[in-house]
Amino acid sequence: MLRVCGLSLRYPNGKVALSDFELTVAAGELVVVLGGNGSGKTTLLRCITRTLKPCAGEIWLADTDLCPLEGERLRRARLPLAMISQHASLVRRSTVLTNVAMGALGRHFTLRTALGGLPSAELAASRGHLAEVGLADLAEQRAGTLSGGQAQRVAIARSLAQQPRVLLADEPVASLDPEAAEDIMRLLQRLARSERLAVLCVLHQVELAYTYADRVVGIRDGRIAFDLPCNQVSREAVHRLYIHEAA
Amino acid sequence: MSLDIAGRPAPRLSGADGWRRGLTTALHCVLALLGLAVVVQALIVVEARPQDLITGIHGMADIIWRAMPPDFSKLPAAAWPTLQTLDIALFGTMVGIVIAVPLALLAAANMTPSRYAYYAARAIIGFTRAVPDLVWALLFVTAVGLGPFPGGLALGVHSVGMLGRLFAETIEQMDMAPIHALELTGARRIQVFSHGIIPTLLPSLLGISLYRLDENIRSSLVLGFVGAGGIGFQLLTAMNLFQYQEVSLLLIIIFVIVLGAERLSAALRERLA
Repeated sequence: MLRVCGLSLRYPNGKVALSDFELTVAAGELVVVLGGNGSGKTTLLRCITRTLKPCAGEIWLADTDLCPLEGERLRRARLPLAMISQHASLVRRSTVLTNVAMGALGRHFTLRTALGGLPSAELAASRGHLAEVGLADLAEQRAGTLSGGQAQRVAIARSLAQQPRVLLADEPVASLDPEAAEDIMRLLQRLARSERLAVLCVLHQVELAYTYADRVVGIRDGRIAFDLPCNQVSREAVHRLYIHEAA
Repeated sequence: MSLDIAGRPAPRLSGADGWRRGLTTALHCVLALLGLAVVVQALIVVEARPQDLITGIHGMADIIWRAMPPDFSKLPAAAWPTLQTLDIALFGTMVGIVIAVPLALLAAANMTPSRYAYYAARAIIGFTRAVPDLVWALLFVTAVGLGPFPGGLALGVHSVGMLGRLFAETIEQMDMAPIHALELTGARRIQVFSHGIIPTLLPSLLGISLYRLDENIRSSLVLGFVGAGGIGFQLLTAMNLFQYQEVSLLLIIIFVIVLGAERLSAALRERLA
């Protein structure tokens, strides 16, 4: 579903952020990316969303390479790609339901949606997405009143409203307590299985990776250190990712 | 030997530490003297003579005596200028908001489409703010004649500067994470604006606008003195005709308007917060 081939990025200051990166995430698979600070994990996700433009390589989303696209063609091609980040990034003064339905805006460009309205059908569907993440009863509550874990669930529901095939998650549990973190990871795993989503998740919590990932990709200095099924990843290999950072 | 609070011998200051502490004390003394000099020059420049206030207070008392009791029979006649004063402020605030919102979007570093637009918008905001509303009123009186309309225009133009600056600063301080998240969902720019930027900013912009309306009501009273209509013009006329009892009535009306506007604006802003 998502295939990254030969992806490279060099920052204007000359620092190599990603070098010849290869990665595939299949539908229904949860792949966790591990690596130290500055190893290139977030840069990888920002390249995939094309927030950053890679220097070389290809990013295949189903049958479309996102790399050469710009403007409206890029926006359209990127629609099946949803992203959640460390902070849920909700519109705090809008209701939970409105925030979720906003995920569908990319598919509806009418006068109503341009002026701040939302399609009734999407609002109804959003209630379903909220039920899916276990927050159906908070639909009318303001997003600014939610706890960190609830907000992250709403962000996931918003990404479901986008009807994605690929879900990118950039440290989605970094600011959550252990219990909420487990909840979010369980939810991502369930969505990968039930919705056949290809989930690529950047994490710092090694134990969560061992518990929930199908595959683990280790990154060091913008290169792949290992890309293995979860049960074949040794503790020592993971440890080396972070030792390198300390050195 | 000096001791610290725990009863241990206090560490001796090195030569460099003592020198630094002396320099700091000297600097504080110089700053205090400078502050005093600023206050003294202000007293000299304004020719402050408190004794004149004491010897001349009977003149003020005489006017206040002649202004009592307020002439409430003039209340119906004051209704129309009062409405004019309020409407000048309302018109000026609305004109200010309509022009300031797009200008602020251009003048906010995180929203502007180009650097040229940014500098042009900042220049317009700076200019309209720098010229006082009284000067704008004089200019508009020469263009459209006496009456409330030049007053409304003057407040509108001046409000563009005041609102534009505050709006732009509010936009620049906005949390951009929800906006970027919406962009990543595939929403178009206009949708990001209406669904993300407007709901995030609206309470702040409304609060600022209400505060400006409150300010404009005060300003519209003064604008009447240069021929821009309203209760200020009526007050000037009454003073020129030595109708002090009417003056006291008008002052009571002004007090009620200003206090009422201030309380209403504060209450609404509190609800929006």
